[in-house]
Amino acid sequence: MQGVVVRALLTVMVVTMALAMPAYARDWWGAGEGRVFPAVADFPNEHGTLRVLLQDGPLDTRGHPFFEPLGPHGRACVTCHQPADAMSLSLASIRQQWQTAGARDPLFAPIDGANCPDLPHGERDSHSLLLDHGLFRIARPWPPRDHAGKAIKPDFDVDVIHDPTGCNLSPRWGLPSDDPHVSVYRRPRPVANLKYVLAMGFAIDGKRGLPLPLDPDTGKPVSGNLMADSRVLTLKAQMHDAARSHLGFFERLTPAQIERINDFEMRVFTAQQQNRLGDSLDAGGAEGGPAKLADSEPGRLGSQGIGVWSEFAPWERADDSSVTPERRALRESIARGARSFRERTFLIADSRGVNSPMGFGNPMRDRCALCHNMSQMGMDVAPGQVDLGTTTQPFADQQPHLPLFRITCKGEPHPHYGRVIHTHDPGYALTTGRCADVGRITLQSLRGLAARAPYFVNGTASTLREVVEYYDRRYSIGYTEQEIEDLVNLMSAL
Amino acid sequence: MQGRFWRFVAAAVLVNVAVAAPAEQQIKPVVEQVGEEVRFITCPIYRDTDAGRKSGCWLGDRRETGTRFDITGSPTKPDWNHAVLVEGRVVEGDTQQCGGVLLEPVRVSVLHDQNCTRHMLPAEGFTGRRFSLPTRNIRPLYEPRELPKPPYQEKSFDIPFDFGRDYIVYQLSDYYIDKAVKYAIDIDASRVEITGYAATTPTTVSGQTLREPAELALRRAEVAREWLRRMGYPLDRVKIRAQTKAKVSDMEGADGLTEPSRRRVTLRVIP
Amino acid sequence: MKLRRFRLGGAVAALLIACGSVGVATAEEDDRWWAPGEGRVFPATLDYPNEHGTLRVLLEGGPMETRGHPFFEPIGPYGRACVTCHQPADAMSLSAKSAQIQWERLGHKDPLFAPFDGSNCPDLPQEERESHSLLLDHGLIRIARPWPPRDFDGNPIKPDFDISVVRDPTGCNLSKEWGLPSPDPHISVYRRSRPVANFKYILAMGFNFDPKAGLPLPLDPETGEPASHNLMADGRVLSLASQMRDAASAHLGFLEELTPEDIDRIIDFEKRVFTAQQKNRFGGDVNAGGAEGGPLKLAESEPGRLGSQGIPVWSEFDAWANSDDPDISPEERAWRESVARGARNFRERMFLISDSAGITTPIGFGNPVRDRCAFCHNMSQMGMDVAPGQVDLGTTNLPFADPQPHLPLFKITCKAEPHPHYGREIYTYDPGYALTTGRCADVGRITLQSLRGLSARAPYFSNGSAKTLREVIEFYDRRYNIGYTEQEIEDLVNLMEAL
Repeated sequence: MQGVVVRALLTVMVVTMALAMPAYARDWWGAGEGRVFPAVADFPNEHGTLRVLLQDGPLDTRGHPFFEPLGPHGRACVTCHQPADAMSLSLASIRQQWQTAGARDPLFAPIDGANCPDLPHGERDSHSLLLDHGLFRIARPWPPRDHAGKAIKPDFDVDVIHDPTGCNLSPRWGLPSDDPHVSVYRRPRPVANLKYVLAMGFAIDGKRGLPLPLDPDTGKPVSGNLMADSRVLTLKAQMHDAARSHLGFFERLTPAQIERINDFEMRVFTAQQQNRLGDSLDAGGAEGGPAKLADSEPGRLGSQGIGVWSEFAPWERADDSSVTPERRALRESIARGARSFRERTFLIADSRGVNSPMGFGNPMRDRCALCHNMSQMGMDVAPGQVDLGTTTQPFADQQPHLPLFRITCKGEPHPHYGRVIHTHDPGYALTTGRCADVGRITLQSLRGLAARAPYFVNGTASTLREVVEYYDRRYSIGYTEQEIEDLVNLMSAL
Repeated sequence: MQGRFWRFVAAAVLVNVAVAAPAEQQIKPVVEQVGEEVRFITCPIYRDTDAGRKSGCWLGDRRETGTRFDITGSPTKPDWNHAVLVEGRVVEGDTQQCGGVLLEPVRVSVLHDQNCTRHMLPAEGFTGRRFSLPTRNIRPLYEPRELPKPPYQEKSFDIPFDFGRDYIVYQLSDYYIDKAVKYAIDIDASRVEITGYAATTPTTVSGQTLREPAELALRRAEVAREWLRRMGYPLDRVKIRAQTKAKVSDMEGADGLTEPSRRRVTLRVIP
Repeated sequence: MKLRRFRLGGAVAALLIACGSVGVATAEEDDRWWAPGEGRVFPATLDYPNEHGTLRVLLEGGPMETRGHPFFEPIGPYGRACVTCHQPADAMSLSAKSAQIQWERLGHKDPLFAPFDGSNCPDLPQEERESHSLLLDHGLIRIARPWPPRDFDGNPIKPDFDISVVRDPTGCNLSKEWGLPSPDPHISVYRRSRPVANFKYILAMGFNFDPKAGLPLPLDPETGEPASHNLMADGRVLSLASQMRDAASAHLGFLEELTPEDIDRIIDFEKRVFTAQQKNRFGGDVNAGGAEGGPLKLAESEPGRLGSQGIPVWSEFDAWANSDDPDISPEERAWRESVARGARNFRERMFLISDSAGITTPIGFGNPVRDRCAFCHNMSQMGMDVAPGQVDLGTTNLPFADPQPHLPLFKITCKAEPHPHYGREIYTYDPGYALTTGRCADVGRITLQSLRGLSARAPYFSNGSAKTLREVIEFYDRRYNIGYTEQEIEDLVNLMEAL
């Protein structure tokens, strides 16, 4: 009984402290600053310290195409891939930029840093999705085009049910325009640890029952794990896509520029290095932090090799007497979270990419690590397009700020939703043109989470706790308060 | 004593933690105004709150605006495998019971020809609504009841229906039709005139055109006639007619909701 | 660990008692089994031991001479009487164990095993045990229902579904003489015989309303009066008089009409019989220590009352919640407390009920709806449904039904509206109420039964799919994902034993 009281009070205190703590002044990396990117850089965050490693030593960023502004908006790649934010972009950083620089900051460029380019630039309301939810506009051509750029005949119709941004119904930017596009709103994905993102563990995409997709440039198979909707298959294609759509840079990047960006991106590794008590995540036998990441082999299946998050197994009995009881308790909680991630089973139902088309069954009992199966990274070794329900009704949390689309399947009905689907983001279906792919979103790297809230592709979870709570709701898991705490502590240590 | 105090504190603290999440969600209408009447089609969400029997919550997201409504108060509750037509009035009320903007009154009609993916949310700190017997219910036979006193008057009774159905809604329509039939029998009415209505004029709801089939008007009237028969009223004194393109009425059973007030049967009981 | 040892002990005790009772049964076999036309006197109080204690049968108004009484005398060519399938020792129903004992004693010559319904199909070789396997192994009697169904006035109904036989190990549904291809098409389903006792409850009307139909109660065509509609698994007849005629022709082969005098005498007897468990397995009375179990209370109470608005269901055992009686053993005290907990659980333990026609449709309770056992089992003292109780628990319908490879399996295809929970195609071992109404929405709906005298009449459910009371609870636990603890299961089993 007393234990419960103490735990409850502790929870309250932790919550209160988190709220009371001043937001960290973010170390903002502006475009074209010309700093030297160090071999090791540490950035504090509310859960401890993030570390960014640059393999093979420091890099002078002056004139480097990742760091120099390209195109008319004055943006660089680094604008949305900030080292302090684990090479993604946190809501805290976005808000800080709005406060310090306002709408003039290239971050808020109308093309994708506003809810719609035709809204009055500079008004906070015009940038509410970015400022409140960390979301950039992603305009996808309709009908979709294949990886070679050819139009696909989709097997579904898309209608706009409502759109508070106005963009999907805009005669200039939306579906009624001469160049019809669907605008969806997504979080930037971290540009780091890319050897894992690009690694291929198997030659097969089990979720499609086909070998891996081929890069149209090289004819070689690719991992299929880039981008939320897998709209490009290689880093190079991603660079062209991003330069055009986010930087407004319509000239093609030169091969030399691509080479330099590629070189940088493949050398960057990031992960949390210290927990909130200042305890190193690779102390006491544990192997957290980015050095281990940089040193390990990518694309390995945890279930047949190094267990996912077994980095923290030595902390299961944290009997290190040189450590304070508080630190010991946190270590043990992280280790329990890691074990829960690998071992706590729950019933997964109606999730395309899991329950269909593979014959795992619907529902099926499994663990976090079923999909988050890659050693050291917790991504999917196979191409990871899965419909968790984060963007699609009835499972999605309320998102009245986002457009809502009605998808009507013209061929086969969707195996879990039937013929009519309501979604805030059709995800992978905007790439494939198939209604069976509506709401499927590529799994992400789970490293450096502490530095880059909010979470999920549409930013619906503002904290790590909300991530766990979403899963708990979605799959009726019934986590205990202790289990939630453990998983949150684990994720904040990645 | 001290133990009890601590238990109380713990309970209070836990409750605070539990409701912290819902409170942050700021449950309020996105676009709708208090007092507004809304009508939409959606897939229902069941929230498994537990405050005793029948205390689970029903939520319906109005897709046109993104507002999540609490539709638990409907006499007919949803089926998680089928879409529902929701008709109700937006009111300010306790959003911490279920986690949606309250509709009161509210009517839910199950659209059996439209399937939904079933979705259950855990309670997540919401309390649910303790069941209490609806005020409109039929009393048991073993309870004494009062008979009407002469002189008898001609009376009209309106029986409400769910959209597209001729089923007498439990603890709503049964209350009214039971009153009507018992009155006819108690006063030994010389005639009962039944008019069944169907809302055949098309309306557009959530992008769908809804209209009741014309033959539903007669089917509803026939259900009322079957009530009279089974309760022992002579059918040769019953006149039955059907009326399509039903107009809005002031039927009590619709609780002031516009569209539901069209879907009805009227029994005119003549002494 | 302690719990487990207690359970083991209980099992051993039960086994001992079971052996003991078999011994008694052998000695008193003739007395235990009521053969047709024996001409005994039916006493005012009749006690029969069973593995959970002792069942008591009360005859209100005192002893009755059964000689020449139409309930007890053989009627029709098979030599059967009503009592053949409604045995006092089996709480006026028929246990599979009694059927087995009769087979051991007399084989197929006992009128119980009459070809018409005491065998899997009349055209099977009657002297072989296999031909009677459903009765012997599962306690099931063949019920042949006309197809298409007929309404209460005997007119054919146009059903809104097609029925076809997927498989039939009995052969009866495909038989050219007895099945669907016959000139007089019938569907054979196999059901347990329902207890003929405590009838004032079964016939009681709490409301003149069937909320599951949205209509007032149906009218008995003979009297024009409303009927409770709680008779028979499929509600195929509305009054005891028509039940008697139905049973006399279907089960006794007695095709002449029963005389009005016969009917009156049977009704008189049936309305006077009350039965319930009287003693527990420790030999203690279930109306001791402040409790009010046993048949006497049943005979004296008002029937058809809603527990939620009056005397709560099984509150008979509330007094045992804190059983401080110093005169009983700790084991019996623990058992009493368990029964009281079971009763409270029955009324208060919530679970999520889904996809059960009669509950989750057409009534607007919602699908799912959170409620308790006593939601449907709501009648004070009896635990039946005060409203007509046709509910689809899933005991006979796939995918919820336990595998029943011994039974015929039918495929139902709904021609008009699909079934709200199963869709257009339904697979079922027994369409139940739909064989009466001709509506696919009623497939698998079976009338709730009285819960008294359960200890004396295993197996349970209309198709005998639960061999023990524990299996009844386990079915519910599976069906609705209730998640009962071992303790809760024990409590509910102990409660049901005591009824």
